[in-house]
Amino acid sequence: MTLVYLLIWGTWIAFGISTIWALHWAARHGHLSDPEGAARSIFDDDEPPGQMTDFFPGDGPDGDPSLMEGSHD
Amino acid sequence: MTDDSPPPTSDSSASSAPMPEGSPDQESSPRDMVDRARIDASCRGPVLFFFLTAAAWLLIGSALALLASIKMHSPEFLSDTEWLTFGRVRPAHLNTVIYGWSSLAGMGVLFWLQARLSRAELRFQKLLYAVGILWNLAIAGGTVVLLTGRYLSIEWLEFPVWTAALLGLGFVAVMVTSLDTFRRRTHHHVYVSQWYLFGAVFWFPILYVLAHAMIHLGGATGVAQATANWWFAHNVLGIWFTPIGLAAAYYFIPKVIGRPIHSYYLSLLGFWTLALFYNWAGTHHLIGGPLPVWLTTVGTVASMMMFIPVITVAINHHMTMIGHFQKLKFSPTLRFIVFGAMSYTVVSFQGSLMSLRIVNETSHFTHYTVAHAHLGMYAFFTMVLFGSIYYIAPRLTGREWASARLIKIHFWSVAVGMIMYFTGLSWGGWRQGEQMNHDTMPFLDIVAELMPYFWSRSVAGILMTVGHIAFAILLWKMWRGEGQKRLRARKLEQQQEGPTLLARPEEDS
Repeated sequence: MTLVYLLIWGTWIAFGISTIWALHWAARHGHLSDPEGAARSIFDDDEPPGQMTDFFPGDGPDGDPSLMEGSHD
Repeated sequence: MTDDSPPPTSDSSASSAPMPEGSPDQESSPRDMVDRARIDASCRGPVLFFFLTAAAWLLIGSALALLASIKMHSPEFLSDTEWLTFGRVRPAHLNTVIYGWSSLAGMGVLFWLQARLSRAELRFQKLLYAVGILWNLAIAGGTVVLLTGRYLSIEWLEFPVWTAALLGLGFVAVMVTSLDTFRRRTHHHVYVSQWYLFGAVFWFPILYVLAHAMIHLGGATGVAQATANWWFAHNVLGIWFTPIGLAAAYYFIPKVIGRPIHSYYLSLLGFWTLALFYNWAGTHHLIGGPLPVWLTTVGTVASMMMFIPVITVAINHHMTMIGHFQKLKFSPTLRFIVFGAMSYTVVSFQGSLMSLRIVNETSHFTHYTVAHAHLGMYAFFTMVLFGSIYYIAPRLTGREWASARLIKIHFWSVAVGMIMYFTGLSWGGWRQGEQMNHDTMPFLDIVAELMPYFWSRSVAGILMTVGHIAFAILLWKMWRGEGQKRLRARKLEQQQEGPTLLARPEEDS
């Protein structure tokens, strides 16, 4: 049982430390300072917010133009 | 996979074609499109290989599941074939769907997401092929061993030690590849999905190797073995499948509907609280067992703490989707992923409550737990995988899915099947638990009362299998290049006078 305690406590502590280290790294490198920018980082100029990017085959972006227009934000 | 495999448009002749800058009259910027196409092309071979072989394991896993399910109400079914007895097909089902379907498909999604979010190409294609082949061979060999009955009956760790060693090597390769992609990122922002992917690729391989070493090298026996077992088994879900599933949901929901996530701040809070609490939760599986009370209590406390990340994810996904639910009609990806995300909320709430002793004393050792496990691994994770593959595969091949009707058949049969599975077994399982707590009720009467619920599971399983067959056909047709060419792919070809979308990345440069 000692080994299992070591294993479990070891990983709990190691994972905890690595989590806090990652949080520290993120803060130090400015990854927590611009949430708006990060949230928008998945969009591109040609796939901007407001544009749907997945359709059933055949529907396509041409199928229903109303889905392509206007941002809801 | 053969060398002459479609898509047939793969052609290096256009590789030297210049990439024109976007002119104002063009409706989109080709630069972003070309960048995405190049990154997708770098993922194409290995990721498709992982998806295709995963789908094969899904079919095998479904067949084994049906066998096991039918034997619950009709024990004489194929009972004279020792390889197909319940004690063997049941672990074979578990391991093929966990390490075959879920892990292979999950890794495909992980590679693609990491490449897309880092805006960097995926490298080490040959290594990834090798990992994929090795992984498949290891699971095939391990499954045969399970069917011969020569396995250690420790749930989630039944595979023989050599299979585990090969899979462990595979996990390490996945870790290295993912880190390599991230290190070459060309984009400042680290998106929340990437944090989740880190959780999966850094913690889980370590855990996998340590747990197998403990169990197979004899470091843990008796009560210690059960403790190590459930600490590991819960973490397979908690820090391997859940982070991949949430990473996909956090990317695809906003990306498909075209709206940034409701609160990025909440999404980060959700990730860090999950990272801190989830790996403590596993010992709640041993409530009532002969081990120190504090050990199971720690698991219960951590399970309660999980309400924080779960509620943040639920609020975030719901608030992002609000006003956009009509888009479920148009997007296959969105349907599956929203189904998965909603199931994540339900399964997590349920799981936390099941870690309370007052609930656990009824639900433990019943089919209620089986229903809960499927709500997690299927209604949440597998549905998210389906949705992700519906988004990713067309971008890898430049082809649309061959049939909208097959996608709808897939969605409705697995959705209805899963709801039926969950409802029947939860209801029956809870009754079973209540009856088992009455020491005057004969055990056989309890089993007899479960019969209709066992039948409902088999019918649900058949429905889900129908969906899997539709999915496998679609994926097969996708690989054969039978769908229509995508609009974007056509546009890229016009702009670049050649099918660069489908050219190999090295041919582009």
